[in-house]
Amino acid sequence: MRSTFVPQIAALLGLLFLWEAVVLAFNVPAHVMPTASAVLQDIGTGAALIGRGVARTLLETLLGFAIGAMVGFAFGAAFAWSRALERVLFPLFILSQAIPVIAFGALVVMWLGNGIWSKVAIAAYLTAFPVTVNTCRGMRSVDPQRVALLRSFGAGDWRVFWSLQVPFALPSIMAALKLGISLGLIGAIVGEWFGDTVGLGILLLQAMYMENMPRLWAVILVCGVIGIALYALMEAIERRWVWWRPEL
Amino acid sequence: MMGVVKTVRRAALALGTLAAAAAIATPAAALETVSVRLKWVAQAQFAGVYVAKAKGFYEAEGLDVTINPGGPNLNAESLVASGSDSFAVGGGIESLMASRDKKLPIVGLGMMHQRTPYVFVTMNDSGIKTLKDFKGKKVTTFFTGAQHTLNAMLLKEGVNPADVTITAQAVSMTPFISKEVDVATVTLYNELNVLKARGITNVTVFAPDDYGISVPRDVLITSEKMIAEKPKAVQGFLNATLRGWKYAIQNQGEAVDIVMAAAPGLDKAHQTAMLAEAGRLTIADAGTTKGIAALDMDRLKGAHDLLLNAKVINAPVDFATAFAPQFWDAVPAADKKM
Repeated sequence: MRSTFVPQIAALLGLLFLWEAVVLAFNVPAHVMPTASAVLQDIGTGAALIGRGVARTLLETLLGFAIGAMVGFAFGAAFAWSRALERVLFPLFILSQAIPVIAFGALVVMWLGNGIWSKVAIAAYLTAFPVTVNTCRGMRSVDPQRVALLRSFGAGDWRVFWSLQVPFALPSIMAALKLGISLGLIGAIVGEWFGDTVGLGILLLQAMYMENMPRLWAVILVCGVIGIALYALMEAIERRWVWWRPEL
Repeated sequence: MMGVVKTVRRAALALGTLAAAAAIATPAAALETVSVRLKWVAQAQFAGVYVAKAKGFYEAEGLDVTINPGGPNLNAESLVASGSDSFAVGGGIESLMASRDKKLPIVGLGMMHQRTPYVFVTMNDSGIKTLKDFKGKKVTTFFTGAQHTLNAMLLKEGVNPADVTITAQAVSMTPFISKEVDVATVTLYNELNVLKARGITNVTVFAPDDYGISVPRDVLITSEKMIAEKPKAVQGFLNATLRGWKYAIQNQGEAVDIVMAAAPGLDKAHQTAMLAEAGRLTIADAGTTKGIAALDMDRLKGAHDLLLNAKVINAPVDFATAFAPQFWDAVPAADKKM
């Protein structure tokens, strides 16, 4: 298992080396693109600060993701269960996704205040949509013959749901969760832009407006690493517990 | 007659009972919980507020103040109008006027920056010596209000703004530094320091105030509801905030440390420079002759007329309801006079 990460790490190191070499070779000014070493050095000097930001943003992301995944699962299952419900509510879901999340900024702050919950809400909001869509689609794709078979053994709705529909939908739900956790991270960062003093989003804002380029790139790099780590976590969960593929 | 006396006595009794009940329910030490929304992220631009909190000035006025930082896409005026926040360090006079024009129930209590906090800059070698030279040049500015100031300046110098290529300015100063644009807009407390930090000092500055145009900014606002229901809290907030600012201007190193403690991601050198400039804007003109955050009504009327001409506001705004100068007038001189 461990050996599979070697090529990825090699690729990352290679990219950093290339970055450094290109910036030095073309004498790119620091305010356009700082060297990789300057960025890594900034991560080193700002470690305590960035660490605090990571802890905060990660907490917002995971809470938002958990809530969004649960809400998405509930709505997806409800839509799969009732076409009428889907017809009434699903257009609202699509509508909500068509509105840029920043438009909700002031509202979220008015409703949930300036604390962590406004960020969690935005992370959850972004996570929920793909989970809803994929849960519904996954559950709908169950072979009706299997449902008939299970029912012939006397299974009720609940039994069909847990024994057939959920396992059948899980691979597609997992695909949505992988997408959702990245969206949750974006939601948490954007949420911090509605006012806070800690978090990666705030560090990003501060660096941007003071044109502190090494810090800006340091935070971008850290966000990227977190994004990859969260994705890898979801992949590991999938490999461990949701290894089957629906036969289509 | 007896009836009236009886009613009055009964009312007095009821009031007395109420007062006693209130006294029991809220001991003298209980603080009124209020919040102040900043129009931007925590930084030295708001040092006075952070100092007032850290130094216990708010507490001394009976207030428990929560400072809520702002950010992009967050409108301090609407958060105060909705009651989500009790007070705010809002945008400029233009934000207050536009909000009043839209019937938002917010009221100006004081004006932190007595002069326009932004200026227009050009490189010394750009060939631009006067505003007349802006003709045919590329100018970027903040489209959140500064464009109207620029237009007014140009018109005053006989330049038709249509003859100048004016576009919205992005976050970065790089297009100006790399000379893609001839003139850029900078705030004295932030972007100008960014330029200096990058070693760019050979710039010519065009300040609106030198052309008789003033757009004071960073207005302290509250809601009509707060003024009607909690005038004591409003007075206390203003007293303590101005005291905080006076302290911050007189003890800038300590004030920067207080801001840095609240928002540790900040750059100290940058914040020190920011506070110095914010302090200068605060004690400019009426800020010294009258006191910190004084409402210089003549100057505010000038800005109002500019906004009306630019059609930022559709109708004249009634200053009697847009401002509540009685609170500033009642701030002890020791808190506001430098």
